[in-house]
Amino acid sequence: MKTRVLVFGLFLSLASGLMAQELNLEQVLDKYYQAGCFDKLKHVKTIIMTGNLVQQDLMPVKIIRVRPDKYMMEFDVADMTAYQVFDGQNGWMTAPWTGNSVPQAVTAERAIDLKNKADMDGILYHPKKKGHNAELAGTDTVNGLTVYKIKVTRQDGGIEYYFIDHSGFMLQKRLYFRNSGGKELSIENFYKDYRKVDGIPFAFIVETNNAGRVNEIQFESIELNKHVDLKIFTMPAKK
Amino acid sequence: MQIKLCFLTVLCIVLSVCGYSQEVLQWRGPDRTGFYHESNLLKSWPETGPPLLWEYDGLGAGYGSPVISNSTIYVNGEIDTISYLFALNRSGKFLWKAPIGKEWTLNYPGSRNTPTLVNDLIYVTAGLGTVACLDAKTGEKRWSVDMVSDFHAPLNRFGFSESLVVSGNSVFFSPGNADSNVVALDRFTGKIQWICKGLGQMTSYCSPAIIRLPEREILVTFSKSELLGIDTKDGTLLWSHPQDGGGDVHINTPLFENGFIYYITGDGNGSVKLKLSADGKEITEVWRNSACDNTMGGFIKLNDYIYTASYGRRYWYTLEANTGKIVDSVKFDKGVTIFADDILYCYNEKGQLGIFKPNGPRMEAAGSFKVTPGSKAHYAHPVICGGKLYVRHGRSLMEYDVKRK
Repeated sequence: MKTRVLVFGLFLSLASGLMAQELNLEQVLDKYYQAGCFDKLKHVKTIIMTGNLVQQDLMPVKIIRVRPDKYMMEFDVADMTAYQVFDGQNGWMTAPWTGNSVPQAVTAERAIDLKNKADMDGILYHPKKKGHNAELAGTDTVNGLTVYKIKVTRQDGGIEYYFIDHSGFMLQKRLYFRNSGGKELSIENFYKDYRKVDGIPFAFIVETNNAGRVNEIQFESIELNKHVDLKIFTMPAKK
Repeated sequence: MQIKLCFLTVLCIVLSVCGYSQEVLQWRGPDRTGFYHESNLLKSWPETGPPLLWEYDGLGAGYGSPVISNSTIYVNGEIDTISYLFALNRSGKFLWKAPIGKEWTLNYPGSRNTPTLVNDLIYVTAGLGTVACLDAKTGEKRWSVDMVSDFHAPLNRFGFSESLVVSGNSVFFSPGNADSNVVALDRFTGKIQWICKGLGQMTSYCSPAIIRLPEREILVTFSKSELLGIDTKDGTLLWSHPQDGGGDVHINTPLFENGFIYYITGDGNGSVKLKLSADGKEITEVWRNSACDNTMGGFIKLNDYIYTASYGRRYWYTLEANTGKIVDSVKFDKGVTIFADDILYCYNEKGQLGIFKPNGPRMEAAGSFKVTPGSKAHYAHPVICGGKLYVRHGRSLMEYDVKRK
């Protein structure tokens, strides 16, 4: 009996894997766009996400995106407010916990990361049109879910992986890499607690595993199409 | 004469029945235990919380709580790197502000301490080391010393943060220098009474407790990696209790009750119960529970149980006071706690302020609301005085009506 159960389990597992591989990249992305209500998302001009980054301390976080290419993350470290911003052309940041709160330009690598974050639809939305190359790289599992693994070679040559579950077609995980002090670090984002806002699903929890250091952003509110003053994205002049 | 006595008796009865103390003179209430001796307070809250009576939003940055006299509310705040003592009237209107000294702004910028009010004098500190005594009516400085220049205190990681404790003619503070761990000054003149070398360790941001025994009075505070018991008469170090955690942040005020000392640290041993000998010269560890830590939220001991927020796990725990075992938990994120009229007031770092009815080990939720006015982190310990709940959130101080009608 035990053997039968095991064989049946193995069959189910293989079958689900095979089913998962039945779709090609275009079909997977199509279903991903449908599940993510991208037809509605394209009409969204601004997104304001407010919550807390939770690790040892609790750090308030606010993320503002404005179509097509503006991004601001405002967050508190040691109860001092810091910014990471992409103004549509360039990236800038502040790091007051270093003792210097003067805004400064970010590195080229960080600027690319911020630019990608500014893309409200995400890198998987018609990647070719944005100069990225996407390919289906088989299946995997994320938190017990069978997922399609999509490899994206970005326009700048960087490689990222996206994991979309094969039944609900929601993004479950992103894996990307960052250079730190000459070492390549792998960073994983896990997307959880999807809830609909104005009919569009958003992950209200994003867990990040940055080379073993885990934190979680818990969003308390996500607002769409609120007025945003574009001046906030401009890097303040040095005094 | 008889009529006068009669009137006084009736007045005392009326005041005791009303159950609203009109003054809060120091950090975490009359005994520094987080207990506010009030009665007839709301036992449940609506979703919007109790009525907000007023908000004063000009305090600058800070994390300290207010103290409250019959006529005046005092609270510290930092503006442009200077720490000020603010005086408001009981309706929340600004009266005056007096500069104390340079404030800490390198991280968690803002004033840290809660003032201590003794009659017409008020004692305050500033994050870069000023210890000052001010006239409580005018804010005029009576005297001040500087922990760094006068006592060679090394600068620490988060600024000088203790809320000064006063006993008799003395005011105590911890510069944390190798030769002057803890210092007692004459509270009227600022002159040195004694210097305790202690273990020559840096300060740990703790606001001390005073234990009063028949034989002696003991100042209990933390240095970098030890709990210290110091005779307040002459500064003799009576005993110490080492911390295993490796950190240097031991902010919570220890508690003494019926021969036992309780403390909870975030960076040290976690939760601990010590037995203090009758003469106050020796301690013996009864239990410790490193699973229950708390960096700066305080704790409440009520009969057989201790209630506190675990910082590592973000749950509120109930510990059995006899054994130190965790016997219940509630998910409410980490924060600070005080107690009044059979209710725990829990204010978490997400700004949610909730009340819980302790029922043996259980904390039964009875309402909560989000504190939205103010700025920056929700760290300040609330205060209850005269049926009013005072919440400081950065630049703002709010008064809520928590009287039961």
